[in-house]
Amino acid sequence: MSKRFRLGIDAGGTFTDFVLADEQGQVRLFKATSTPDDGTKAIADGLKQISEALGLPVAEILNNADLLVNGTTVGLNALIQLKGVKTGLICTAGHEDSLEIRLGHKEEGYRYDAKYPPATMLVPRCLRHGVRERVLSDGTVLTTLNEDDVRAACERFRAEGVEAVALSFVWSVANDVHERRAAEIVREMLPDVYVSVGVEVFPQMREYTRTSTAVVNAYLGPVLERYVRRIDDFFVGLGVTAPIRYYQSNGGMAARDVMVSRAVNAINSGPASAPTAGMHVAGPLGIENIITVDMGGTSFDITLTKDGKTNLSKNIDFLRYRIGTPMIQVETLGAGGGSIAWIDAMGLLNVGPQSAGANPGPVCYMRGGELPTVTDANVVLGYLNPSYLLGGRVKIDGAAARRAIEEKIAKPLGISVEHAARGIFDIVNNNMVNGIRRVSVERGYDPRDFVLVGAGGATALHIASLAREIGVKKVLVPKLASGLCAFGQILSNVKYTKMSACPMRVGPHADWERIDQRFHDLEREAIGALQAEGFETKDIRVERSIDMRYLGQVHECTVDIATMSVNAESFKEIRRRFDQRHQELFTYCEPDGVVEIVNIETTVSGVVPPLKTASVASQGASAAAPVKEHRNMVFGHGAAIRSVLAPVYDGEGIEPGMQLTGPGVIEEITTSIVIEPGWVASLDASGVYVLEDKQVAAVSSGLASVEEAVAA
Amino acid sequence: MTRKVNPITLAVVRGVLETTQREMTLTLEKTARSSVFNVAHDYSNAIFNHRPEMILQGQDIPIHLGSLIPAMKFVAAYFGDDIHEGDVIYHNDPGSMGSHILDCCMYKPVFYRGELVFWTVCKGHVTDIGGPVPAGYNPDAKEIYAEGLRIPPVKFWDKGQQRKDVVNFYLANVRSRRDQEGDLRAQLGAVTVGERNLIALLDKYGVQTVRDCIDELMDMADRHMREIIGAIPDGTYSASAVLEDAGHGFGDITISAAVTIKGDECAIAISSPPQIPYFINSYEGNSISGVYLGLMMFTQVDPPYNEGLYRCITVDLGPKGTLCNAVEPAPHVNSTTTPMETLADAVRLALEKAAPERAVGSWGHASGINIAGVDARNNEEYVTMVLASLISGAGATAHMDGWHACGPQCCFGALTSGDIEILEYSYPIVIHRYGLVQDSGGAGKYRGGCATEWEVEPIGHEMTVVSFGEGRKYASLGANGARNHVLDSKLARIDLKDGEKVTETLRKNVVLKIQDGQRVSAINPGGGGWGNAFERDPEQVASDVRNGFVSFDGARKDYGVAVSPEDFSVMADETKRLRAAAI
Repeated sequence: MSKRFRLGIDAGGTFTDFVLADEQGQVRLFKATSTPDDGTKAIADGLKQISEALGLPVAEILNNADLLVNGTTVGLNALIQLKGVKTGLICTAGHEDSLEIRLGHKEEGYRYDAKYPPATMLVPRCLRHGVRERVLSDGTVLTTLNEDDVRAACERFRAEGVEAVALSFVWSVANDVHERRAAEIVREMLPDVYVSVGVEVFPQMREYTRTSTAVVNAYLGPVLERYVRRIDDFFVGLGVTAPIRYYQSNGGMAARDVMVSRAVNAINSGPASAPTAGMHVAGPLGIENIITVDMGGTSFDITLTKDGKTNLSKNIDFLRYRIGTPMIQVETLGAGGGSIAWIDAMGLLNVGPQSAGANPGPVCYMRGGELPTVTDANVVLGYLNPSYLLGGRVKIDGAAARRAIEEKIAKPLGISVEHAARGIFDIVNNNMVNGIRRVSVERGYDPRDFVLVGAGGATALHIASLAREIGVKKVLVPKLASGLCAFGQILSNVKYTKMSACPMRVGPHADWERIDQRFHDLEREAIGALQAEGFETKDIRVERSIDMRYLGQVHECTVDIATMSVNAESFKEIRRRFDQRHQELFTYCEPDGVVEIVNIETTVSGVVPPLKTASVASQGASAAAPVKEHRNMVFGHGAAIRSVLAPVYDGEGIEPGMQLTGPGVIEEITTSIVIEPGWVASLDASGVYVLEDKQVAAVSSGLASVEEAVAA
Repeated sequence: MTRKVNPITLAVVRGVLETTQREMTLTLEKTARSSVFNVAHDYSNAIFNHRPEMILQGQDIPIHLGSLIPAMKFVAAYFGDDIHEGDVIYHNDPGSMGSHILDCCMYKPVFYRGELVFWTVCKGHVTDIGGPVPAGYNPDAKEIYAEGLRIPPVKFWDKGQQRKDVVNFYLANVRSRRDQEGDLRAQLGAVTVGERNLIALLDKYGVQTVRDCIDELMDMADRHMREIIGAIPDGTYSASAVLEDAGHGFGDITISAAVTIKGDECAIAISSPPQIPYFINSYEGNSISGVYLGLMMFTQVDPPYNEGLYRCITVDLGPKGTLCNAVEPAPHVNSTTTPMETLADAVRLALEKAAPERAVGSWGHASGINIAGVDARNNEEYVTMVLASLISGAGATAHMDGWHACGPQCCFGALTSGDIEILEYSYPIVIHRYGLVQDSGGAGKYRGGCATEWEVEPIGHEMTVVSFGEGRKYASLGANGARNHVLDSKLARIDLKDGEKVTETLRKNVVLKIQDGQRVSAINPGGGGWGNAFERDPEQVASDVRNGFVSFDGARKDYGVAVSPEDFSVMADETKRLRAAAI
């Protein structure tokens, strides 16, 4: 990672983003229309744009660049559209159905719904093959592996034209001999088939999670493999010799082969770079606690970083499929510019999760949309320009937005159009605030200790209101907001997460050496891989964590232990941290209670050197902010709303040192920023707008935080 | 139409209430010890106003749908003026509107500037409540006194001070004290988190505005339910459902419901035989939940849920001293599953007569096992209800097949079974099988969901297995003409095995002792089908056969479809003949 350029390519659903950074820290954003059938077409298009902008041949740029590709939507779309490959499962006889039983649960929100269908099986029952074998929880073998059963399954799969096979045996995490032997047989008999082994993909306790993770990995593996091969061939064809890296949901990069064998690890990599990008933006301002919020057309993604560290989630349902492997904790809601406002059967106003999407889109886009959306409300409120967006590239019809809100919302509720529009704005904000609470309050963090960082084109219209609602006083919106995630990707480290199940009750005879040894074994593997990729030892970082719980609990609590060795002495400190974390999360702890260790995990990173930050030039603080025009804008809540004539600032002409006092709007080409009354905005030399709540008696936060509540 | 509340504030208040309830649930679920709390979701968090009316209930387990409402009112009335800031009240007594004694409920009055404004309430099924049988289900109890500890409303905290003597009194009467203490803390965490959020809501909008919004939310729910009821033709509709004997010598028990619709009001009258000296009697609070479950299965109302929904509904449970309106000393612990599910079916069937287009197949009723023993690894006693053994098939609807493995009816998809590795790590057992059962889904144009089978063997000790529930004699009810021809596989049963070999099939409730090498396989019922099975798309039947949900024989008998054993294709001529013969 020491070349002249860093080029990140993020193949999204609509656009493929290209972020190019040079040695001086100059960052440029390019966009090409995505070509889902063959992603390389969009890449070729983008490279042409870059080549023209820089006046350099493509080959020269590429050979002087570290290359990173995020193919997130390839796997994600295959899962959403159920277009993965025909997959078979080999598992312990008697446990063929855990995938379909799904622990017996129906998702919340559909309790009495007679039309809500079960999740589609990625492996239908006829392709799930039980084989005779059994290992017990302590690793002892109860029934030896029947290899003929495995062979019979392979014959079946061959006849059926299966392209991928997942293997997942009960307690393979305690003893993996059977599972690995069976995998060997599969590889022998079906050499062209993609093989996904449970103990390799998710080596932690919980059979259903492991099976499901292995299955998702198998289902998507060949899809990702084909994609990666095509990308590789494309770049090799352009004369590139250096290896290309890929982006993972854990917020780090991975070498090509690692990515292909762990397709499941890419599943939600799109928003996973937000924390890295957010920290890069916040870092120069001395801020270490951030919540990133990214509002797009249909969804709203939230991440939280405390003291520079972002939580990972494991064992969650993603698109109705249980996935064990750690992903950057991203809370996603159906709240975007295209979210539709509607009145429910009881007469309550709701916004989303249904979205008008890109087609037909909001009413004001004039593409046939008839249902009022959040974007339409923003137009009526005067936050968005009523006649065009994206610096004039998209024409819109503000009057149509107004008519739709009047007919569909204002009239039925018996309120004015402005009330209705601000109501839509407030309700979608409220939904987003609830989402922010899920990543903060519900996980033991007080959102008031954080700064909000805006990513995505639509976020900055809402961000100050969100901040006030949760009691946050400061907000950052980079000029680069609409491409922030792609930017975050080129700033990320190479990151391998290794896990192991180590169930153990903590007592006087605890076998600490075993756990410590296990950590070392896991790390040795990962460090070796990084060294092979060219990282020097001094650039390799290790972070350990342990999943623990009080005896009798079912859920674990993850405790970060940095690089601590595990032994009887250090465990005192680990134990203290566990009690503290439990208290933060759940209002109480039991320092005298017996605890047990369930899983261990270690993340080994190859550290990529930081990017320089270029400065925005300043003519001197005395210059007045350039005002394009004045528009009527609506502010306030509930019955107490008012319309004011407020300035619209031209982002192009804003310089560090200028103070912009709300109410008002800053128009950048790819984003518009609302400065709420009582807020002041300024531009930092790093190209980041800083918005601050200067209202003295700020409205108190909507809800209290969960902190120590019980003195039981 | 004039509105006294701003519709936007209203929507925001609704959102805050839902978030509050959610955070209460999260606190409870992540910290509780009892697996019935944290895995089964057998709990309910609710918020009441000062009156006290239930202003929000989560989508938790339906068993608690109705019982919280009268229980809260009873508890508030019991203490009257003697309710203070910092009080925490505990309660489980069916004699005072509790559901069954295992469901222990914590009530926290929320004060704002000295005034009682809300109650936060957290009810959950505890691991044990004392009495002669671990985990509380004593089939031999002839009276409620022999079942466990009854807790009439009692203060565990008084003006912020824990009443250590009282809490100790409680804990001294139940098993696994360590877990129970943990569960108490988890409940206290939940009601406290709820209190904090509600106070912040009041800080923001003020008491009057919040109160107005909540009243409006309840009026809206009321209007919504009245719309649904108003669309049903006036008249009295009656139906009954059978609660099977399950081998206890009391014979089949019929529960009937007469539903009278008049305009937008609905009166539901239940009749059931006299209470019996067996633990399936249901006291008032629990029976109201059964009635509401039937109502919700029929109306299929989306959230949010508050007391306003039930304003236009009146319930008459029949004379005191009957099975569904039991009084002291009737034993009752098994009442939250049986007979509540039968009661719900009776109510739903009556309503469906009035509006057949809303008919659905019934879900597999609860049938499962508890296991207990001494773990030789650490010499510790263990006892647990095996939630996985309860996960039955869901009923089909007018729109689709029933979900596999989603029941029982009394939980309606809220229950989750623990991961088998977590279970094998926690208890000295081998789970040889946890899978779907062939031919168990009710036949219909839309098929009922498949039942599950859970097969266990003890390691290194003698294990006690206690079976409970029903669905062993009568299959789940089909809807709209759905009928089964293959019957045995649709019923619940317990197979006792020596290794792989079945030595005995039991269709009654029993207490068994098994050793290493012996196994018990608990099989629950599948869901009911919807519509004429002979109208099911033959291709779908063939797909079911291919996937093993239906056998070749089942396809012929239940669906009139012949499927080729060669390639699982539909044998068209044979199918035509089979289906013609059935008419």
